[in-house]
Formats: sequence, structure tokens, C-alpha cells
Amino acid sequence: MRSTDLLALALAALFAAPLSADAPQVPTEPVKPTPVAADPEAGRRLYDRYCTQCHGAEGKGDGPAAEFVYPRPRDFTLAIFKVRTTLSGQLPTDQDLFHIISEGLPGTSMPAWKKFLTENERWQLVHQVKAFDSLGLFNEEPAKERVVIGAAPEVTPALIAKGKELYQQKKCWQCHGQYGRGDGPSAQGMKDEWGFPIRPVNFTKGWRFRGGDRIEDIYRTFTTGFNGTPMPSFVDAIPAAEDRWALAAFVKSLSRPQKNAQVLKAGHITGEIPADPYAMEWEQAGFADFPLAGQIIKEPRWFKPAHDVITARALYNDKEIALLLEWDDGTQGADQVALQLPVQPAGNEKPYFILGDERRPVDIWRWNAQTGLTRATASGAARQTPRGAGNLSAQGGYRDGQYRVILRRPLKGGEGEVAFEPGGFVPIAFQLQDGDNGEEGLKMALSTWYYLLPQPPMPLSAWFWPLGIGFLALGGELWLARRMRTSARRAA
Amino acid sequence: MMARYTLYLAVALWLAILAGLKYLIHPPMPASVLMIYMTLSTLGILLFVAADEARFQAFLAPLKSVFEGRAPLAAQVLVLAGIPLLLGWGAWLRTAPTWDAPFEPRVVHPEPPSSFSLHGRRIETANLKNPLRLPDPVQLEKYTQEGKTIYYQNCFFCHGDALAGDGHFANAFSPIPANFRDVGTISMLQESFVFWRVATGGPGLPKGATPWLSAMPVWQNLLTEEEIWKAILYIYAGSGSTPRTWDEEAGHEKH
Ligand code: HEC
Ligand code: HEC
Ligand code: HEC
Repeated sequence: MRSTDLLALALAALFAAPLSADAPQVPTEPVKPTPVAADPEAGRRLYDRYCTQCHGAEGKGDGPAAEFVYPRPRDFTLAIFKVRTTLSGQLPTDQDLFHIISEGLPGTSMPAWKKFLTENERWQLVHQVKAFDSLGLFNEEPAKERVVIGAAPEVTPALIAKGKELYQQKKCWQCHGQYGRGDGPSAQGMKDEWGFPIRPVNFTKGWRFRGGDRIEDIYRTFTTGFNGTPMPSFVDAIPAAEDRWALAAFVKSLSRPQKNAQVLKAGHITGEIPADPYAMEWEQAGFADFPLAGQIIKEPRWFKPAHDVITARALYNDKEIALLLEWDDGTQGADQVALQLPVQPAGNEKPYFILGDERRPVDIWRWNAQTGLTRATASGAARQTPRGAGNLSAQGGYRDGQYRVILRRPLKGGEGEVAFEPGGFVPIAFQLQDGDNGEEGLKMALSTWYYLLPQPPMPLSAWFWPLGIGFLALGGELWLARRMRTSARRAA
Repeated sequence: MMARYTLYLAVALWLAILAGLKYLIHPPMPASVLMIYMTLSTLGILLFVAADEARFQAFLAPLKSVFEGRAPLAAQVLVLAGIPLLLGWGAWLRTAPTWDAPFEPRVVHPEPPSSFSLHGRRIETANLKNPLRLPDPVQLEKYTQEGKTIYYQNCFFCHGDALAGDGHFANAFSPIPANFRDVGTISMLQESFVFWRVATGGPGLPKGATPWLSAMPVWQNLLTEEEIWKAILYIYAGSGSTPRTWDEEAGHEKH
């Protein structure tokens, strides 16, 4: 080694020293080499076929579909990427891009391409995405080190409790909300680096975590941060890895998988159905999730609904039935929920799922955060007739980033409404509107038909066959055993 | 001496067949088919066992020792109590109410009507041909690309980026949007049928195909006739399939 080199090294060490003292203690390892060399022609061809519609011909995120999805497809020209294993502000590794292209981004329109493209094709797309980098950053300062994630510690209640403390201390709640529903005081009005509105993630919806919802993924997300968004890296604020694992375990504990069902089963209770949506009885009632989609079938079409799911519970007693509808909302706004039922059940046949049709009208119960309960009969989107609420009642409110609304009605049907009876399936559909997202009229999120069932207590007759067959078998066995024992004794 | 284990081997074989049919075969077979296979397997095993007198006696020996009271007490209780419990439990599974949604039969590809209304005109379904499926590859490619734009501004939310019926709105709908990559959808349909479906959507279906449930929009309310044909060009090209055609000279259908 020449002496000038030594000098340079010593100087570098001198300047680097104070820096590295501040630098967070994140173990890193060298980036692995890229296994497949670029074939620009193949990359371009694949990109044109599979990616332009969203990311645009020049990678600017302005393809023909871009206006119709939230979040918007990424503009690659600035080379800013969210899901990475590199430190905050750095470029992703080729493996990171390969991972994203393969797995997609859950909760967005960006699909998982591993189902449709070979590994080699996906590597070509990695090279193509990098080729759009207009500032030449991938050439100048490619990522050399990646964060070592390591193995997640065992998740214990103590670890989660520690994570909960850190969640308070490090102010994650300012954006993500006390209960993780994306409703913190700083959640409103944020923009990302590209100038588009952005909202903090709702931690209860694990299936929408773009970086993945395993503990390792969550740990990686706030260790590296999402570049280009208000979601920072927390390596400086939370330097100890075990603290970050605790936080990851806590965030994970807030999320739950989606629980879809075809039938909303109302359980039978003997006393009154509680008016308080936070009452124990409701907690015990069990819930079902009903996924919602934008109403993109009739004009005005609504491509970017705020809500993607509604959660429902139901209870009934001898007089009435009640539904508890819940949905998370980071912005309180003036939301409206609607429950749609046929005016007359007709076996298999149902009204058209969007506000009925001329032959088969629907009964719509609407609760609006500002105007309260209204009710209408509709035989098509354009033919809605308001009607008196009758003996339908509603109460609802907003708390901790979540709306809860109870709708209740006597079991017995009056004029122009279905009757509920134990064991009888009644078609229902859901519609949800977010006031802050400008949703009104046909601009809404909706579902197709499901069923509501007042579930009868298990009838005694249900025991007939199991007990009958069981005892019959036992009797037969005893008879046989007796016979065989006597004949064996006789033989002896 | 293997003979001592005949009964256990038979039971193990039976369980192995059950596990194989249940977990190794994809897609999973319906319960009724599984039931048939298992009944056949049971009969097969019993026949095999009974075919040889010595084997049959070996098979029965453990049962005999239980019923004659020679087996250890624990084994006697296990068998005598276990069999009725198992049978009772089986009966419970079959007869107890599960409160599942009522079964709703739905014809996926109904007979198309002989004619339908398009923008106020009457269209004969039988004579429909895609006017844009031109022999000139340059023209064809241009229309297909235009169809791609139409697809990504109108259809992909439901039918998916890769045309696999898995768009980001797909799981809110039941029935789910058609998967154009599946051999059971557009690749087995004539373009005339597809045009009818796209133009008249879910509400255009006959009663047996549950028009009230399908989220498929009535595209003639939102697109021009030419735009629909372009979108159809693209769903075939994009999914790598070709429409079913009627080969007039040979007189039979081909793909
Ligand atoms: C249907 C629209 C759509 C298509 C098609 C699509 N993407 Fe995306 N893509 C998106 C959206 C939306 C985002 C941004 C999501 C976000 O910001 O959270 C994105 C983001 C990305 C990212 C950045 C991820 C990150 O961590 O920041 C990459 C890389 C990417 N896409 C590559 C591709 C490639 C390669 C293709 C073609 C094979 C493709 N995309 C096709 C919608 C699409
Ligand atoms: C300044 C506001 C803000 C703070 C404080 C904040 N976040 Fe975030 N966080 C966001 C935003 C905004 C997003 C969504 C980024 C996007 O849409 O691309 C996000 C996304 C995330 C995600 C990504 C989920 C996914 O989609 O994969 C995780 C995990 C996360 N935050 C964890 C945390 C944790 C843990 C803390 C506290 C240590 C925290 N955040 C503090 C704003 C914040
Ligand atoms: C709102 C969701 C939605 C949108 C948007 C949508 N479809 Fe559909 N589509 C469906 C559903 C659900 C089905 C399956 C039920 C049915 O057959 O009606 C379907 C079925 C079809 C079928 C029938 C396939 C078969 O095997 O019978 C075709 C063809 C089709 N869609 C084409 C299109 C085209 C072309 C577009 C865009 C112009 C489009 N769809 C947009 C929901 C949608």
C-alpha cells in the first residue's frame, strides 16, 4: 500500500469517525450480485406488454389506467422506492425490485407477477425499471449494503407490551392512531414526494400491508422507511434491534386476517339487544367481513372508493333483530352506510344488486353521520322513493378511528318489508360512502348479495340421529360381545 | 409374522387412501366423489381380506379377542366405546344443520338469445363477426392496442391486470369475474357470444344465469360498438387465447 493511500485512509477514518458514532447500529451485509444480465430488448418488450398500462410508456407512472387507481402507479424516473432492504434514502437492491415485481404490493392494484412471468422475465423487468432512472442514480450510487433482518424473536405478551409502550413513546400513534386505524392527529393532509395525497396505513388490515404483514416485513418497513413518503425510518429513534422487534410484534398484534362469509349469522339472545355498540353481547356475537368494491357499473362510476370492507355482527331476540356495522375511517368526515334488502323475498330470485330493478324493488336503510336514519324503496338507481322509517331505528357514532352503527327492526314484517324468522335466509347487500372522499349518490363502495340468517338455537331433533346411531351401535356391540363370550366359554 | 397385523394394515391402508385422495389431489375433489372412492376402497379392502380364509381369520383375530374379552381391558373399552362415538359423530356431521348459504344453481354459459338490442338496434347473434379482426397484422395490432387501453380503463379492476379474473375489486363480487386465461371461458366461446355478453352484461343474462347477481356491467351503456370489439380483440390477445370459430369448409368446430 502506498503512503498516499494510507494518508487518505487515515483522513477518511478521521472524518468518518464522528459520523459512524452517530450512525445507527444496524447490521448490514454486502448486496448479492444480480444473477441475470440485462437484455434491454427483452426487458422493453416485457415492460410494454405488462407494465405500460399503469407505469406509462416512459416509466412516469402515467399509463392509461393511472387515473383510475389509488395509490397511483409509481413514477420510476425519480428512482424512489418504498419496499427495500437498504437504509433510508438509499436505492433498492436488484433483489428488492425483483421481490416487489414477484410479490406485488397487497392492497394496491400492483399485482404479484410471479404467477404469470418466469424468473428470467422478472429479472429483465428489474433492469428495465432501473433504465427509467432519469438522474442516473443507479449508476452513480447503487446500494452496496443491505440491512440484515435476522430471525424474529419469539412473540410473547411481554414483547407485545413493550412494543405497545414504544408505540406511545415514539409517537407512531400521531399518524397511525391509538388503535392503529390510521386516524392519528397528524394523519390528515399528508402528501408524498410526488405530490399526491397519502394516508398512514391502517394496522388492523394486515392484508393491505404493501411490504407484507409478517413480523419480519413490518420490522423491515420501519427500519428502512418508505422512501418518498412521510413514513420515516426509525433506526435513529429506536436504535436497539430488540426494541424494533417489540414494536413489530405489537403492530402485528393489531392486525387480523379478513374473515369473509356468505352468511351473516344472527345469534339468539334472551334479554334486550344492547344499544351500546361496545357491549359484551356484541363482542361475543362474532363477526363477518364483507369486501366492497367501487361502484364502476353505472354512471357516475367510482373507481377510488375509500373503503374496501365492512364488518358486520347481528343479534336477535323474540321481538327484534339488530345489526352492528363497523368500518374504520382515518377521517371522520360524514360517512353513510346502507343496508339493502328485497322488499319481497322470492326464493332464489333477487332484485338487481345495485338498488333493485323494476320487477323487484329493494328496501334501503341508510344511516348518515350527519342526517341520521333515512329509508327508501328503490326499483333502480334512478327510481328511489323515500319512505317513513316505520319501526326501524338506528344509532351510531365515531370513536377511535371507527364507525359503529346499530340498525334494528322488529322481526315481524310490516307493509312492504321482509319478515325475519329463525332459520330463514334473507338476502342483504351493503353500501358504504366516505364523506371526506366526496362520495355521494352512486359514488360508493358496494357489495353483491349475501344472506342474513337469524340462526335458530340447535334444535333437539338434531341429536336424534347421532344419539340413535351411537346407542344402536353400542347395543349391537354388547349383544355380540355377550354372545361371543358365552360361546367361547362353552368351547373351552 | 405379518398376519398378526392384518387388521391394522388394512386400517392403515384405508387411512392412507383417504389422506392421499384428500390432500395430494389438486384441485380437491367434491365430497360426494370422495365418498364414492372411499366406499369402493372399503369394499376392495374387505374383498381382498375375505378372499383368503387364513387372512380373514387373521383380520378378525384382534376384534375377536376384544369381543371375547381376552384383550386388555383398556383395548376393550377403547373399541366398544370408540365405535359408537365415531358413528355418532359421523351422523352428527351429516345431519346437524350447518346454516350454510342456500345452494344457488347458476348456468355459466347460457344459450344466447337469437337477437338482442344494441343502442336501440336489433342485432342477430348468429351472424355477428368481429369487424376489426382484420387479416392485415398492422391494422389488427393497432386495434388490439386500442383495445388494451379500453381494457385498462374499464375492465381490469375486475378481470385483473393479467386477465386472470383477480382484479383489485374481484373479491367483492360473487360470482367472481371471469378468468380469461382459463380454458373454460373466452377460449371456448365464439366472438359473437362474447360480444353479446359484453354488450348486455349481467342484466342481459337469462334467468337461469342469475342476472341479478352478476357485477358484469352493461357495456353498451358505456362504450361504443367499435370499442367493445376492440376490447374483445385485446382480451383474446392479452390472455394468449383465440376465439372458437366455425370452420365452414370442414364443417366442424375448431379452436
Ligand atoms: C394495474 C396497475 C399496475 C401494473 C400493471 C403494474 N404496476 Fe407496478 N405499481 C402499481 C402501483 C399502484 C404502484 C405503487 C403502489 C404504492 O405506491 O404504494 C406500483 C409500484 C411498483 C414498483 C415500486 C415498488 C416500491 O417498492 O416502491 C415497482 C418496482 C413496480 N411497480 C414494477 C412494476 C412492473 C415491473 C410491472 C410490469 C410487470 C408493473 N409494476 C405493473 C401498479 C401497477
Ligand atoms: C409522520 C407520520 C408517520 C409516523 C410518525 C409513522 N408512520 Fe408509519 N406510515 C406513515 C405513512 C404515510 C405510511 C404509508 C406510506 C405509503 O402509503 O406508502 C406509513 C406506513 C407504515 C407501514 C407500512 C405498512 C405497509 O404498507 O407495508 C408500517 C409497518 C409503519 N408505517 C409502521 C410505523 C411505526 C411502527 C411507526 C412508529 C415507530 C410509524 N409507522 C410512524 C406515516 C407515519
Ligand atoms: C364490475 C366488475 C366487472 C367489470 C368492470 C367488467 N366485468 Fe366482465 N364480468 C364480471 C363478472 C362478475 C363476470 C362473471 C359473471 C358473468 O358471467 O356475468 C364477468 C364476465 C365476463 C365475460 C363472460 C366470460 C364467460 O366465460 O362467459 C366477458 C366476456 C367479460 N366479462 C368481458 C368484460 C370486458 C370486455 C370488460 C370491460 C369492457 C369487463 N368484462 C368488465 C365483472 C366485470
